[in-house]
Amino acid sequence: MVVFLGFANLLLTISCNLIIYLFEQVMSMKFDTSGLESHHGMLFGARDELSSGLSAAPSFDIPNSNDFDCFQKEAIQMVKPAKGTTTLAFIFKEASQSVKKIIEINPYMLGTMAGGAADCQFWHRNLGIKCRLHELANKRRISVTGASKLLANILYNYRGMGLSVGTMIAGWDETGPGLYYVDSEGGRLKGTRFSVGSGSPYAYGVLDNGYRYDMSVEEAAELARRSIYHATFRDGASGGVASVYYVGPNGWKKLSGDDVAELHYSYYPVEPAVVEQEMVET
Amino acid sequence: MSKAAVDVPMKGGFSFDLCRRNEMLVKKGLQSPSFLKTGTTIVGLIFQDGVILGADTRATEGPIVADKNCEKIHFMAPNIYCCGAGTAADTEAVTDMVSSQLQLHRYHTDRESRVVTALTLLKSHLFSYQGHVSAALVLGGVDVTGPHLHTIYPHGSTDTLPFATMGSGSLAAMSVFESKYREGLTRDEGVKLVTEAICSGIFNDLGSGSNVDVCVITKGQTEYLRNHQLPNPRTYINERGYSFPKKTEVLLTRITPLKQMVEVTEAGDAMEE
Amino acid sequence: MNSQQIYYIFDLCKSPNLSLSLSFITMAKQHARWSPYDNNGGTCVAIAGADYCVIAADTRMSTGYSILSRDYSKICKLADKCMMASSGFQADVRALQKVLAARHLIYQHQHNKQMSCPAMGQLLSNTLYYKRFFPYYAFNVLGGLDNEGKGCVFTYDAVGSYERVGYSSQGSGSTLIMPFLDNQLKSPSPLLLPAQDAVTPLSESEAVDLVKTCFASATERDIYTGDRLEIVILNADGVRREEMELRKD
Repeated sequence: MVVFLGFANLLLTISCNLIIYLFEQVMSMKFDTSGLESHHGMLFGARDELSSGLSAAPSFDIPNSNDFDCFQKEAIQMVKPAKGTTTLAFIFKEASQSVKKIIEINPYMLGTMAGGAADCQFWHRNLGIKCRLHELANKRRISVTGASKLLANILYNYRGMGLSVGTMIAGWDETGPGLYYVDSEGGRLKGTRFSVGSGSPYAYGVLDNGYRYDMSVEEAAELARRSIYHATFRDGASGGVASVYYVGPNGWKKLSGDDVAELHYSYYPVEPAVVEQEMVET
Repeated sequence: MSKAAVDVPMKGGFSFDLCRRNEMLVKKGLQSPSFLKTGTTIVGLIFQDGVILGADTRATEGPIVADKNCEKIHFMAPNIYCCGAGTAADTEAVTDMVSSQLQLHRYHTDRESRVVTALTLLKSHLFSYQGHVSAALVLGGVDVTGPHLHTIYPHGSTDTLPFATMGSGSLAAMSVFESKYREGLTRDEGVKLVTEAICSGIFNDLGSGSNVDVCVITKGQTEYLRNHQLPNPRTYINERGYSFPKKTEVLLTRITPLKQMVEVTEAGDAMEE
Repeated sequence: MNSQQIYYIFDLCKSPNLSLSLSFITMAKQHARWSPYDNNGGTCVAIAGADYCVIAADTRMSTGYSILSRDYSKICKLADKCMMASSGFQADVRALQKVLAARHLIYQHQHNKQMSCPAMGQLLSNTLYYKRFFPYYAFNVLGGLDNEGKGCVFTYDAVGSYERVGYSSQGSGSTLIMPFLDNQLKSPSPLLLPAQDAVTPLSESEAVDLVKTCFASATERDIYTGDRLEIVILNADGVRREEMELRKD
C-alpha cells in the first residue's frame, strides 16, 4: 500500500498517477509509514480519515509549505513541546535496571524517555503494540535486540523530520538481559551502561565511578538513584522523581520512586549550623 | 589613541558606543531585551475654556501588565501637560527634559511658558533621533495665545488639532470623538467625553486598561484628576483567604551585632626598608 | 506560473473533492513565508478531587491587541464524564474538537457506551500526535471522572505528550496560575513509590473558590485573560455549571 501524506487534511490513498505525480511536484516529500501499519486488514473496509485510525494508525499530516524545515522550526518555537530529562540504565550481574521517566512497554521490557516527551511517549506505545503483535504471531516474546531494532528502524525512517528521541530499551529475553541505546538520529548501540538526556554527563560521572558488574540489586539500585540525584542537582532541566526499576528473569519491578528534593535531604541532612561566635562586649 | 580622547567626559546626550556591537549580536540571533511599553490610550480635546487631556493607567510588558495604575499625563509646565504613549522610559525622559528646559526658560524670561515652545523642543529632540526615541505624545496647554492641542509622533512630525488620540487604543478613542465631538463643549461635557473615549480604549484595546486619568487646563488654572474613574475593580476575593505555609528551615534566630570599627594607625611606612 | 503547472491543476480540477485546493497551490507559490497560526489567548484550569472534577476557562477570545469575542466558550464536552478546555489557536481547537467528537461517535456505535475519561485522554494524545509535523496549536487540559468515579485531570503539550495529574493550568495565564496551584495543592507525583493519592484534599466548594481566585488574579496581570469565567463541575450527580464576571479591560 502506498500512502501519501496530507494535503489540506485529506489522507490520500488514491492510486491516480497524475495526482500523485502532482504531489511529488509540490512537496517531493514522502516517507515510509510502514511503522504505523499493523499488518491486518481494515475491520470494515473503511477508508476515510476517521475510521482508518481504528485498526491502523492514520498517517501524519504534512504542512503544505515550500520550506518544511523553516516551518518546523517556527512551529516548534510556538508550541514548545515538553522536554528535558536525565535517564540511565545499566546491566550488572543480576539484571539490568534503568531510571527516571520510564515507559513500561510490556512486563519484560522498559523504555526510557529523553528528548521530546510526545515523541518518546507515542513511539514507545507504538513499540509496545508491535511487541505484543510479535508475541501473538510467533508465540514467543520479542528479543530486546529485535524490539530496539523495530524502534530504530522507525526513527530512521523519520530522520531529518525533527523527531527528538533518546531512549534506552532495557529488558529480559531468552538470551538474558539486554540493553540498547536508540536515538532519533538513527543510532542504535548495544552496551552495558548508558545515560541519556541533558543531565547525562553528570549521571555518567557518578555511574562510571561506581559501576561494577558484580553488584547486588540493592547496591545497583542505590548507584542508579545516586547518579540520577546528582544529575538533577547540577542540571537545571532535570528534576522531579527518580524512579528505579529492576528487570530480572521474571520481568521488571519498580524498586523506588523518590522526590529528588527529598533525596537531597536524606543524602545531605540539614544540621543546625554552628552559631557564629558572638562578640564579647568589652 | 590620544589620551584626551579617552579621558574627556561625555558632554551629554545618548551614548552610541554599543550600537555596532548590539547590531552584530542581534544578527547572530541574540534577542535584545524588551522594554516596558505603555500600550496606551491617550486623548485630548479643546473645550470652550481650555484643554482637557485624558489617559488610561495600564503599562504592559508583552502580555503581562507591569503596572496597573501608572501615570501617563506628565507635567511640562504649570499650564502645560503632556500625555505619553510608547516606551515608558522614553516618554518620561523626554517630557522631563523638556519640562526642565521650559523651567529654565521661564527663569530667563519671567513669562509663562507657551505650548509652541514645548512643542518645538519636543519635536526637535525626537527628530534628531530619527524615531529611535519612541515617544508618541499628546501635548495640551493654555497660554497667553489661548488653548492649544498638539500630537507629536516618534519621528518628530506634529499636528495641531481640536481633538486628538494616540497609542494602541487611539482608534477606539477616536471613534468616540469623531461621533460626539463638537466645538464649544462645556467643562463637564468635555470631561465626560474624554472619559468615554478613554473607556472605549480601556475596554476594546488589550494594551490599555485599569483607570481613567483626566487633566483639565483652563486659563490660569489646572486640575489634575488622578483616577477620575475606576471602572475595573477586582471581581472576586475569597473571604476565607489563603495561607502560605513557611517551608524554609529556620537555622539561626540569634542576632550577632557587627563588630566595632577598629582604627588602625600606621607606625611607619611599611615599604621603607 | 509555467504551463506545466497549469496542466496539472487543470487535471486536478476534474477530481471534485480536490478542486478547492487549486488556490492553495498558487498561494503557496506566491508567499515565501507561510504562517497558518494565530494565538487567541485565554487560560484554562482543571482540578481533580476525590469525587469531583472542576474544569474552568475564561471566555475571552483575542488576537493581537483586539478582542474578538467576550463570550466564547473554551470548554467542550467530549463525553458524559469528560470535558476538554483548550486555549491557543481556536480554529485548530475547533478542528480538534470536531475530530474527537466524530471519533467518539464511532466509538459509541461500536461499543454502545460512552468513552471513559482515561480512554479519551489517550485518544486526544494520539490525535495530537498524528499532527506531529503540522501541530494543532492547541493547549489542552482534559478533566473528568474515571471509572471509579474519582476526579482525573490530563494535561497535554501541543504534540500529544500527556500526563495524569491532580491539577493543571494551560494557556496565556498559566505562568501566573501554576505556581499558585503548586503552592496551595502540591499534589504528589504519580511516579512516587509507595504511591500517594494525586487528587487534591480540597472539598468541592473550596476548589471552586480556588479557581475563582486564580482567574480573578490572572486577569489582573494577563491582558489575554478576562471578561467572564466559565466553571464546569463534574461529580456523581452529573454536570453543574457556574459563572463569574471578570475584568473587561
